[in-house]
Amino acid sequence: MANITMPTDDQSVRQPGTAVLILRYLRRNKGLALGVIILLALFLFTVIGLLVINPKHAYPLSAGLKQPPSLKYPFGTDFFGRNLLAAMVVGMWQTALIGLLAGGIGTLVGVVLGFTSAYFGGWIDSTIRTICQILTPIPVLLIQVVVAGSLDKRDVTIFTMALIVAMLAWMGPTLVIRAQVMTMKERQFVAVAKLSGVSDMGIIFREILPNLLPFIAAAFVGQVFSAVFASFYLAVLGLGPLREPLLGNIIWSAQSQGAFFNGWWWWPLEPAFAMILILGALALVNMGLDELANPRIRKSE
Amino acid sequence: MNIKIIVKRLLFFVLVVWAASTIVFFIPRLSSRNAIRERFGELARSGGFSPGDIEKLIASMQQQFGLDKPMLEQYWQYLGNIMRLDFGYSLSKYPTTATEVIAQALPWTIGLLLVTTVLSFVIGTLLGAVAAWPKAPSWLRGLATPFILLTGVPPVIMGILLLFFIGFRLKWLPLGGAYSAGIVPVWSWSFFLDLMEHQILPALALILGSVGGWVLSMRGMGITIQGEDYVNFAEHKGLTGGRIFRDYYLRNALLPQVTGLALALGTVITSAVIVEGLFGLPGIGTALNLAIRANDFPVIYGIVIFITIAIAALMTILEFVYPLLDPRIRAN
Amino acid sequence: MTSKDVVYTFEGQIKYDTLPYHIQFADQVASVTAKDDLTIELKFKAPSPRFKFEVLTEKFDTGIPIVPAGYLSGQADPTKAPGRNDIPHSGPYDIVAWNTNQKIYNLREDWWAVKAGRMAEPAVKRVVIVNILNQPMDTVAQRIVNNEFDSSVDMRAQIIGNILQQNPEVQSWTGTESPYGYLDWWPNSLWMNDKLEPYSDPNVRKAISLAVNRDQINEVLYEGAAIATIYPFPLYPNLKAFADSPEVKAEEAKYEPGKYDLDESAKLMEGAGWAKNGDGLWEKDGKTFDATIQAFENIHGDIAPILAEMLRQAGFDSNVNFGTDAYQNMVDGKAGLYMFGHGASLFDPFEALNLFHGKYSNAIGSSAGNNRFSRYANPEYDALLDAIAPLDSSDPKFISGAAKALGIYWRDTIDVPVIQWLHRIPYNNHFWKNWPSSTNVGLGTNGAFWAHTGMLVITGLQPSGAK
Repeated sequence: MANITMPTDDQSVRQPGTAVLILRYLRRNKGLALGVIILLALFLFTVIGLLVINPKHAYPLSAGLKQPPSLKYPFGTDFFGRNLLAAMVVGMWQTALIGLLAGGIGTLVGVVLGFTSAYFGGWIDSTIRTICQILTPIPVLLIQVVVAGSLDKRDVTIFTMALIVAMLAWMGPTLVIRAQVMTMKERQFVAVAKLSGVSDMGIIFREILPNLLPFIAAAFVGQVFSAVFASFYLAVLGLGPLREPLLGNIIWSAQSQGAFFNGWWWWPLEPAFAMILILGALALVNMGLDELANPRIRKSE
Repeated sequence: MNIKIIVKRLLFFVLVVWAASTIVFFIPRLSSRNAIRERFGELARSGGFSPGDIEKLIASMQQQFGLDKPMLEQYWQYLGNIMRLDFGYSLSKYPTTATEVIAQALPWTIGLLLVTTVLSFVIGTLLGAVAAWPKAPSWLRGLATPFILLTGVPPVIMGILLLFFIGFRLKWLPLGGAYSAGIVPVWSWSFFLDLMEHQILPALALILGSVGGWVLSMRGMGITIQGEDYVNFAEHKGLTGGRIFRDYYLRNALLPQVTGLALALGTVITSAVIVEGLFGLPGIGTALNLAIRANDFPVIYGIVIFITIAIAALMTILEFVYPLLDPRIRAN
Repeated sequence: MTSKDVVYTFEGQIKYDTLPYHIQFADQVASVTAKDDLTIELKFKAPSPRFKFEVLTEKFDTGIPIVPAGYLSGQADPTKAPGRNDIPHSGPYDIVAWNTNQKIYNLREDWWAVKAGRMAEPAVKRVVIVNILNQPMDTVAQRIVNNEFDSSVDMRAQIIGNILQQNPEVQSWTGTESPYGYLDWWPNSLWMNDKLEPYSDPNVRKAISLAVNRDQINEVLYEGAAIATIYPFPLYPNLKAFADSPEVKAEEAKYEPGKYDLDESAKLMEGAGWAKNGDGLWEKDGKTFDATIQAFENIHGDIAPILAEMLRQAGFDSNVNFGTDAYQNMVDGKAGLYMFGHGASLFDPFEALNLFHGKYSNAIGSSAGNNRFSRYANPEYDALLDAIAPLDSSDPKFISGAAKALGIYWRDTIDVPVIQWLHRIPYNNHFWKNWPSSTNVGLGTNGAFWAHTGMLVITGLQPSGAK
């Protein structure tokens, strides 16, 4: 997964310099290190997998049926004759794609709007805030279900999934970032900077933005989280691209064939395990970022 | 707090409901699909009507739902109905109204979601606060990690695993249903116990997956707060650790957490769709799922708008509570 | 209940066009009269040798219940009168509770069948029907294995096989042997709108048929049981005899309806002006072949994805639509393939073949009647059907005519027959025994509790002694 670039970017901003410094820091911040390692492993699994496997085998009737994991099929095969190793590789790639795309769009829009709103205040703030607040309480997923349900089946692809998921996902980050900038504006260091005549842009980029990074990162992780979950829910309701081996789709088809009861435990558990790894690792990275971004804590440790 | 602010907040509430209703009104009308036709087509499939006469029936239903009028007129009429919480007739359970369908399902969902949301909020917030508190014992801080990992487990998998191992293999708890089959609900202790027994697994499936989210956001807040000068000041003043934790740290970090609570309602409902389905519980989630499967749009939209109203109301209340929690905003 | 009630019921079918047998009554019946309390006379507009069987028999799990004239004639709109216990009924059980979770029936003390000495008093005093809402089938299966349920709706082959394995007290219609169920009357086809491009070309339809590998369907979905079919009707005894007749066998040899041959399929497609693109999919004028299968998730969740993949391997850009609009798309005749059954023939093939008669083939834009999605129109075929319509099904002319019509069905690939339909219902002997099975047919071969004959299954149950 490509979002491991996120923490490394941070570090280069903060600790200009060398890999040694980064590694030394990662040794101290074990949660972040673990998260990064898991994401790196998943990333390698997907990339190497894409090079090695035949993507055709991720689709039905391409392998033996209902085979438990073995040497020939390390991840087993499913009821429809997919090679689950291939399906997992392609599914990881697609899930990551939806997550990153939708999460990225949502976070970007959220940060820009949240910042603009809270910092400048006045009518800009009230307009953005009012629109956000009016849209926020609307249960996004249900709207997504309605939209996805009214699409023609041939139009439902990985990309439309990402767009549907991103469509109403930017209000959350906007409000969170706005709330944070609001409290930060009340803080002493901003007041001090203002008094000492630092410009608006200077305050934004030098004082507020660095302190805000954990929240931006958290928002991003949260967005990826909800994007993956939302696409999963749509798939469960039969509204996703049914043929694609999205992680959510694999679980859905396993469930609809009664995989667990029929003793094909590997079928639903593999994508579930992958999901736990992806989201768990994102959460660990998120926690690690909090420590990284708050220099006072780092000092005390 | 003056009257002007109160009026403003209430106006906001109305705007939210209006926006949701409008989105809900126009989305299905943008596509060429006709829900009433689809619904009666389905009925014809199961043999309820003679084939050639569905058209006639559809026409009369269109009229009943006002779909033969110009769109703008439909829209005004629709907004008027929503103000009276009248979402029209359910298509799949005609002549039951959508409001009745919601009312029947609501107690089940409120019971389950209220308990699980409150429990996971309290557990998650405390664990998150502790995880970010450097003076807490390390075993206590480590407690947060498994919950964070559990957030990644989709509710559907959590539910299936709980059902399979605890319900099916160990036979400790029932495999679904709101209460035992054949029991007529009465206000008695034994019925209450039976009822509770059926709620444990679905509640677990919801709690285990949602605690981690609260842990994460609380921990993020906590870390920021403890770098603040007032916390350092309190430490130097010689206040006890417990006092600082409670009065300076928890209270300040709680603010965004509480905002999250209102928004979590929307997320929790989506988990409920899955979990109630898995466990065969007759709540809002199941009503919604069945409505989606039957394309029963008055019920779908009724539920969407109803949930929106619930969330908006909760948010409006929190807006009033907000200044009480953060004195700095009150001063402004 | 006397013949007066029967007349009231039949006249209702003629009068109210929302009732299920309105068309048959209105088209064929001239008059209904009660001769005396026990005799009814029906006058037909034309000879209707199949009316008795097709309309008056309890078939398709339904049939026409005779309604009480005294109660219903007092209602403002008899088709909307309340049911439940308000309407006088002759069944053994009364509803005592009904909510979203369950329906509870108690045995009537004064059931007429016991009083009249027609039946022994049923051992089952209370029936509880649990609403599983949308609980997944494998959880329902677990509840049966754990003896929470005595029976359930029908299940997929794999799941019922596992239920039988995990709880030896549970039985199926065929014991512990595959295929676990009895043959339903609803064989499923891939239907097509024969009036719409590109499906209007019989060669294209044949190319689709040649892409379906029936052996693989049996292997993948049914553990090798021969479920795939080439007929639009169920192989019940008389229909089986028809299918095995030399006339039908000759037509089958001529058109090879069950053939799987990708090369031949490709040749037909190329002949129709299609070419394979870079993805190996058929393309014409820059567009791939839209072969979206409209289907229903709860019943086609296993077969539809398999079929879509077979078509895709043959180059058709295939997908599945399990959406709520699936049925409407079938009725409207939108481009695509429709997975649906043939609810028509039970005894002779006439009704199944009649589904494709030109007189039902509405133009595109008008909705197709139930089971008449193909919109096939061919005067040669219609003439064959019109000639055999008044004939009895044992008439040799009927058989040769019907065989010829079936031959045209195969030749033109009006639709692509895929599978027979089975009801696989688990029965749990833990608390109750005497469930129906192939060796214990009892009061009827339909062992579904939700069919009209379901009460007979329940009233025949005996306690096993377990508590």
